[in-house]
Amino acid sequence: MARYGMALDYKNCINCKACEVACKEENGILMGADKHRIWVGVKEIKGEYPLLDIVSSSFEPSQCQHCESAPCQEVCPTNATYYDENGVVRVDPDKCILCSYCMNACPYDARYVDDRTMTVDKCNFCSDTRLARGETTTACQATCPTKVRTFGDLDDPESEISVLLRTREHFSLKSHLGTKPKLFYLT
Amino acid sequence: MAEAVKKQGIKEFITSIPYNKIGLKDLMSFEKTPRNIIIAVITFAFLVSFAVGVALYLMHGHHSYNVTREHPWGLLIAVYIFFVVSSTGLCIVGSLGDVFGYKEYEMISKRAIFGSIVTIIAGFAVIAFEIGHPVTMLIYNVLTPGFTSAIWWMGTLYGLYLTFMIIEFVFLLKHDMRMARIFGLTGLLVGLAAHSNLGGVFGFLNARTISNGVFYPTYFILTAFITGIFIAFIMMGIRYRLSFPENAKKMLTNLAKIQGLLIAILIFFVTWKMLTDIYGGMPNRSEVALHILGSWTFWAEVVLAMAIPLLIILKSKGSAIHAMFWASLGGMVGVFFMRYNLVHDTQLKPLQMMKVREYQLAPEWVHYFPSAAEIMISLGGLGLCILLYYVGTKLFNLDAETH
Amino acid sequence: MQVELSRRKFLQGTVALSVAGGSAVSATNLFAGADTPEKKLTITTKTGVAKEVKLVPTLCEMCVNKCAAIARVEDGIVTKLDPNPMFPKSKNMLCPRGNAGIQALYDPDRLKYPMIRTGEKGEGKFKRVTWDEAFRYITEKTIKILDEEEDNRSTFLFCAGEGMAEHTFQTFYQAFGSSNWLNHSSICLQTVASAYGVTLGAYPQSDLENAEYIIMAGANRAEAIVTPDTMDIFKRTKGRGAKMVCIDPRFTNTAAKADQWLAINPGTDLAFVLALTYVVLDEELYDKAYVEKYFNDFDAYRAHILSNGYTPEWAEPITNIKAKEIYQIAREFMAHAPKAIYYPGRRSTFAKNDFQLRRAMAIFQALSGGIDTKGGLVFGGKIEIEDHESLMPLYDKAKERGVVKTEAGYADCAVVSGGGSWLAWRNNFLEGKMPYSVRGMFCYKHNPMQNMPNTKKTAEMLKKMELVVCIDTMPSDTVMYADVVLPECTYLERTDPVKTFGGVEPALAQRNKVIEPMFESKPVNEILRGLTKHLSRPLFEVTKKYDSEVQDALAEEDEEAYYQEEFDMTKMYSHDQEVLNVHAVHAYEGAAESLKRYGVYYPKMDQYYKQLSANEHQYYPEKEKFYSVGEGRPQTPSGKVECNLANMSSKGIDGMPTWRDEYCFSVPEGKFRLMTGRHAQYTQSGTSNNIVLYDLMPENYIWINKRVAKERGITFGDKVEVISSVGTTVIRAYPTEKIAPNQVFFIHGFGAESSALTWAYKNGGSDNAVIEDALEPVYGAAAMHETNVEIRKV
Repeated sequence: MARYGMALDYKNCINCKACEVACKEENGILMGADKHRIWVGVKEIKGEYPLLDIVSSSFEPSQCQHCESAPCQEVCPTNATYYDENGVVRVDPDKCILCSYCMNACPYDARYVDDRTMTVDKCNFCSDTRLARGETTTACQATCPTKVRTFGDLDDPESEISVLLRTREHFSLKSHLGTKPKLFYLT
Repeated sequence: MAEAVKKQGIKEFITSIPYNKIGLKDLMSFEKTPRNIIIAVITFAFLVSFAVGVALYLMHGHHSYNVTREHPWGLLIAVYIFFVVSSTGLCIVGSLGDVFGYKEYEMISKRAIFGSIVTIIAGFAVIAFEIGHPVTMLIYNVLTPGFTSAIWWMGTLYGLYLTFMIIEFVFLLKHDMRMARIFGLTGLLVGLAAHSNLGGVFGFLNARTISNGVFYPTYFILTAFITGIFIAFIMMGIRYRLSFPENAKKMLTNLAKIQGLLIAILIFFVTWKMLTDIYGGMPNRSEVALHILGSWTFWAEVVLAMAIPLLIILKSKGSAIHAMFWASLGGMVGVFFMRYNLVHDTQLKPLQMMKVREYQLAPEWVHYFPSAAEIMISLGGLGLCILLYYVGTKLFNLDAETH
Repeated sequence: MQVELSRRKFLQGTVALSVAGGSAVSATNLFAGADTPEKKLTITTKTGVAKEVKLVPTLCEMCVNKCAAIARVEDGIVTKLDPNPMFPKSKNMLCPRGNAGIQALYDPDRLKYPMIRTGEKGEGKFKRVTWDEAFRYITEKTIKILDEEEDNRSTFLFCAGEGMAEHTFQTFYQAFGSSNWLNHSSICLQTVASAYGVTLGAYPQSDLENAEYIIMAGANRAEAIVTPDTMDIFKRTKGRGAKMVCIDPRFTNTAAKADQWLAINPGTDLAFVLALTYVVLDEELYDKAYVEKYFNDFDAYRAHILSNGYTPEWAEPITNIKAKEIYQIAREFMAHAPKAIYYPGRRSTFAKNDFQLRRAMAIFQALSGGIDTKGGLVFGGKIEIEDHESLMPLYDKAKERGVVKTEAGYADCAVVSGGGSWLAWRNNFLEGKMPYSVRGMFCYKHNPMQNMPNTKKTAEMLKKMELVVCIDTMPSDTVMYADVVLPECTYLERTDPVKTFGGVEPALAQRNKVIEPMFESKPVNEILRGLTKHLSRPLFEVTKKYDSEVQDALAEEDEEAYYQEEFDMTKMYSHDQEVLNVHAVHAYEGAAESLKRYGVYYPKMDQYYKQLSANEHQYYPEKEKFYSVGEGRPQTPSGKVECNLANMSSKGIDGMPTWRDEYCFSVPEGKFRLMTGRHAQYTQSGTSNNIVLYDLMPENYIWINKRVAKERGITFGDKVEVISSVGTTVIRAYPTEKIAPNQVFFIHGFGAESSALTWAYKNGGSDNAVIEDALEPVYGAAAMHETNVEIRKV
């Protein structure tokens, strides 16, 4: 029993996409530009050469935010989307009917269709791969060259993530929607 | 029903439903006017395209559709909504006579109720090929119901609704008006609940500011009524080949007047939705609304489903029922765009606005155009609708009993 | 699981094909794996499904960095590569390419069997042969040529790409006795490495973990990843401990992560450094004690800079960087010294003045005193290991390296380095300027067709060679021109020579074999074992025939003993690499065991190595780190920073970095300066067929300024033709403000012409099809950014 979350020191991110590949290799994700559980978003730069707006070009790693009040879970007609015992938002492919409601409801575009099982897939914090065999990091965290990510138990006050969130300012994405995301962007 | 069944025994109850014994030959025997032949050929073509579309879907799954991660709901969802809205609308129209007791509308009750059954079956037939795993849905809808899901309520209530509608229709056939009224009322209430939940499917999407809120659940009821009246005109027009008897004329004139009022309210609704969308200052909403204003499909909806019928009604004070027949056909095209726009516009704005690949343009508006398979299955739904209705006219007496 | 199935199917297909035997497999099928026709996109495998799991420490070979990885093998299939946290160089990370190494292993297009050409050169038609047949064929051809050339061993060219087994191949070249060795240096970091070498005595590393001020000029660490530099610096920019100034004509990802970005004119960095130096000398901001102690010819250099008037105001119109910004940077740099770094970089030569630029950078750095010190440039410690066994017989008839000489020295460059000048060599060969005929070549893990400017000429050269032997893992464009193709196994299927990594935290690391080689591929050590078994004795016979010194020696000695002692090439390859590695580290107790088990070893690792947090590890305690190994002393023979290279002056090269008018940047109206570069998801042509990386970036696009593109009616994704004096290539357009109006850029390595590469074939644009062969004057390195091109919408 834990309450897993992830802190992202997103200013470290160099948009190398190692996390995306590690995720695909670890979890057996399909190829294809729209088949990704995690990604790095980039804004096209503002300004005219050479007077470019250096801060407008930031890199934003993103993925399922593992909301505590997840819109995707609320709209699932068969409860195929569920919170596991660690607060991870997961999909039970046996129950998924592929109505795609969750894809429409997720404010973060974190869901996509896995063409093999024809069910909706998403990040599960490597719950059925790495965590299942006792590892304590996700594939994306382990591989990251600039160590953007810290995964851990938010309920454990001594965990690295809890310490980070106590000591560093942070924000979460689209929190005005009341989703209570468990991904925290450190500033 | 329990009472009625108890009285008769279930077997006898079913076998005593009045219907005409027909064979395939009877189905093929219709007046071979050019118009009828054209309708027959088109219906057949639609049914063939349905088969082809379904075959494509079975071979390639969702790859045969143009749905994407950004636009997971496509034409089939719109067509499903189109049919279930039609069904609810017909249910409302049918209820005027046999539930609410407006005598003059009793002449259309049976026909409308049958129409509502036909259209919802067509809707289910279409959605079955959009939902990835319809059988799983039947199982887990019961085993692990998602009570917070508008889709669960919508689906479950529509299932009940279909049941009630069939029972009501049976009592109508048996001319048991008391039971018909009971089931009609129940069916209507369940149908309205189901239908507003369908609006809720969109209204609950807090990520989609353009759809979020109370608008769609209420708007759906209103547009259902409007759609029901359009179809009533079409059904009556076909039934009487546009030479209406007096009572039908009177009823249709009254219906047209109601329709005028409803369309006026609808225009009022849509205008205010647009105004608040554009000037309400909600993030991301006004640009979507402006984008919608710039799309021809929106104006197709406005012109066909609102402006033309309303003008005809206002000009003739509802008496131009011939013109209304044709306007209703156009109106249904408009209603189709209404549904299509609703589905597409909800997904217009990408939820992820950043580039995720180095060489791509930043996401702007989500583009969607239905694939051949989607179009074929949708037309198939329409074909199925016409076929079932035609069979119904042969099988049952859909006119009011003359007493 | 379907993924599982597809990988299994691929493996089964493999087995089926190898059972089918040579004659049954048609020529066109030789490259095709079981999955190729379908271009399957189910490539990855979910971990944790299989029962039997093995973890093997290895070293990555997706680029040159050699980061440590742990391969997860499930039921004999490599399902995941994870970072190995124990290696101080790569510090618990794997980049996207490192992660995608699995797809290099399971690439359906890999070379699987030895092959001999049956079609025209370049056509890609081969027949499958046995290893013995291939070796016999090579032997026969080689001996015939050598016999005709009367044992001039230099009649064969040997060339190799970078890699841990490059040295193994080099021992073959040395024992063969040719003088013609060409490697990647002259199309890689020759000028930067050598310029730092002659100025500071070594090509130093940068302590980016502790530097407070960094000038990152012409180096793109966010995209051209170098470990540990990339990991160290980007955690600290943006007001988090270090200020980084990025100087680049393009707005790169590094620029995006910098605190300040200055768009410089291409090829004018030298003027920028000279102006920085001017400010430092003029305002006397330099570290006087350091200069006093460790500089040679400081006064001359000072006078040179000041008298030439290399002021920021002078540099402004040349570089396009404002004078006040040059003042600011020079002052800030020195204020942070010695914890300030002018980052040396690690890349190809871009401009003809690159050697002088690097010298100026090295001297500027030294002026700050930030040499061999924490937070500055460091030489670091190094763990010595036993060298590889080699054999260097003296062949009397072997002629010296094929270069064109003039009275003053060499025709093409001032200095001929060990790796030679690829471009000059090729052009001389084609123009018939070689002092003798070169007729054959052995090419290891090297793709000159795609890695060298002017592809047409390279193709011509390969066509003219009578015997081209290629050892490679993939059917590259160069392999298409080979007469004999020998399939090497990928890095995950072999143990490579143990390697020592110097630095602040020195360590040894070893690439351990993860799975057995697939198909009939072999590691190069075993390939050479087989080849020399056939080739060694006949080669000796040729020498015996023509070499009078050998004849004389044989008159006195027993032939067999003499052969075995001096000329037997087979003995170098008689041991497996695992055995050689144990021997190489035998001086350190427990090292061999540690390398096998953890992939890494350094003295006291068991005491020092600690996991500090999920992301951080300690390799050495702070006080044990090798920040300073000589208290700041440069490693030149004189122990001083060499400001003036007198011996260079005699060869027509400026002894002190000097700006010349011809270095100024200018582009004719309507043309564009073509720039090329690297990418985090792409290592040159080597990864062009990797499906996972292809998935991340399916194609390269040409960057063109948005306003210019608009004027020319070019929109995103339009195909444009890029035209230079040597050729053309077609590529899609990416209009962006990240590039100047008179420049264009695209990533190197795309646009392969080998039809045996499913995904890379004719995919995107090839830079070397259009880059002109410009030679840098000191080492004859290829200057990659000297080409102007036209752009035409097609």
